[in-house]
Amino acid sequence: MTTHSGPPAAGVGVIHDIGYRHYQGPRLGRAAIIRALGWHSLRSAFGIGRGAKAKIIPVITFAIMCLPAVVNAIGMAQGGKQIVYYDTYVFQLRVFVMIIFVAAQAPELVSRDLRSHVLPLYFSRPLRRLDYPLAKLGAFILACLILLEIPLLLLYLGMISQAHGGGAIWDQTRALIPGLLVGLAWAVLLASLGLALASLSGRRAYATGSIAICFFLSWALAALLRGVTQTGGPGVAGAGARLSGLVSPFTVLDGLRQWLGGTSPTPLPPPGDLGPLYGVMFVLLLAAAAGGLAVRYRKAGVLQ
Amino acid sequence: MTTPVPLESGPPQAGPPPGGTGPGPGFVAAVIETSALTQRYPGAVTALDQLSVRVGPGITGLVGANGAGKSTLIKILLGLLTPTSGRVAVLGLDCARDGERIRARCGYMPEHDCLPPDVTATEFVTHLGRMSGLPPTAAKERAAESLRHVGLYEERYRQIGTYSTGMKQRVKLAQALVGDPQLLLLDEPTIGLDPAGRAAMLDLVSRIGTEFGISILVSSHLLGEIEQICDHLVVIDGGRLLRSDSMTSFTQVSQVLLIEVDEGTAELEAELAARGLRPRPQERALLVQIVSAETCDLVRDAVADLGLPLNRLEQRRRRVEELFRDDADPSAAEKEGAA
Repeated sequence: MTTHSGPPAAGVGVIHDIGYRHYQGPRLGRAAIIRALGWHSLRSAFGIGRGAKAKIIPVITFAIMCLPAVVNAIGMAQGGKQIVYYDTYVFQLRVFVMIIFVAAQAPELVSRDLRSHVLPLYFSRPLRRLDYPLAKLGAFILACLILLEIPLLLLYLGMISQAHGGGAIWDQTRALIPGLLVGLAWAVLLASLGLALASLSGRRAYATGSIAICFFLSWALAALLRGVTQTGGPGVAGAGARLSGLVSPFTVLDGLRQWLGGTSPTPLPPPGDLGPLYGVMFVLLLAAAAGGLAVRYRKAGVLQ
Repeated sequence: MTTPVPLESGPPQAGPPPGGTGPGPGFVAAVIETSALTQRYPGAVTALDQLSVRVGPGITGLVGANGAGKSTLIKILLGLLTPTSGRVAVLGLDCARDGERIRARCGYMPEHDCLPPDVTATEFVTHLGRMSGLPPTAAKERAAESLRHVGLYEERYRQIGTYSTGMKQRVKLAQALVGDPQLLLLDEPTIGLDPAGRAAMLDLVSRIGTEFGISILVSSHLLGEIEQICDHLVVIDGGRLLRSDSMTSFTQVSQVLLIEVDEGTAELEAELAARGLRPRPQERALLVQIVSAETCDLVRDAVADLGLPLNRLEQRRRRVEELFRDDADPSAAEKEGAA
């Protein structure tokens, strides 16, 4: 402590010599500030601008996520069949990778600021209270989109490189678009849930743990319920099995996909006439997450 | 002109602010103006009670014990809290309507720790410069400049987690300064600092106020230190305005003689009382109000006549702390002093 009492005096002298210059340049408005915060958050979701350690999980998850597309492309090049589909990609892999990515990176966006009590500094600037979670949510949805959609685009490139004729390319493109929309639904729901859970705790470990546990347990629970209620043979799913997917965001997303016409098979039985329930559940989960985030930031930060 | 602002509400007097120590001639607009400002928290806690005060340019100290309402007032000024009732204007803008515009022109240094440990000061202040609405390049330049102004040079490329408390306080000040504000709101800037750090921080605040032409509202519960740098002082207690006045009027009118003897304090007190003074014991010493030129002579004679070992005899400038210690007495003493 005492070692610092010297330099300040010298520093003060320099202030006097150089003098203070007022800022005459342009000042950006609220929208530009929100964009700047979003960009900053997107970078931190991938550990850019942080140390090397912060990049480990984003890089690894991204690489794993791209692997099936690469494998598929190699298989196709050697004359094999398409093994990875746009609307499901590799369902279990996608679930696990997204659990890891969201659990590790959502706290990076919100818990750090809570932990170090930076929020009063944001809210004492021209931002409004809800601008902060809005920017964070937008950035994290975009981060999840990058993780979900770039592998799809790689898959598409791999497919069209083997496609012959305009008709085949058009078929691939037509298959890709629903796949991208499924990815969008995943990104929006998982990012919202992840940020809402992460914003509850300033401790990174707790935030990561709560996301991982919620996602993983609900996923395991859905599988358990499905196993318990699946009585008939394959393809003959009872109402219990068709309802089992409602307990986990991942199976909700898959039920939504199947209800909206996705045909690629996953462990979840097609919901059939219970499909609309999955649509409702998707909206409810999304509203709860976004609403929770808004309520959290309406209160948090300033009064500490 | 130096009469204390009365407690009752009503429009503050027009014209230049009391004290008239603002940097710019002709700059007469109030920097902060509140009228009948009341803030109640749930559970019948009244943080501010009918507070009407006017703050002019220059450095203004906001003084009060812990829980007096200082931080609440600052948060209302930034538009972060909506007051229960009353009106507030900052830089001529209404806090209720123009919160964003006010915040664009104000820098705020919170009381509590607010720095992430794992980024460098440069990155952090640059980012907050962006959040103040500066374009990318300008944010970088302003961040470097404000860190230099607060006395951080090569250290600014180190992670904040490695900083001492004093350096962290400087970073907090630099982030408040980065947007080139017209008004700085500093909440307890010297908290947690050692004496040398306090002196350096106060010096810095004083320079920002006088040389940078930025008005400052600086809160503190340590009256002794804040009175060194302020032009004007606002004293609140229990959410009420105790007094708002220029610094000179606080310290000039109330001179106190402090007498400390090694033994026989009680006898001396009786003797002084017998000679027409009104000694007040304070710890091991006695305080006597200087009412005339003869007061010092009277004290000297009393000590000499009693043959007491005199340890200390000093003419004290009144500390603002005494406002809290004894509400009624200072005003009485002032009248005596003025007479």
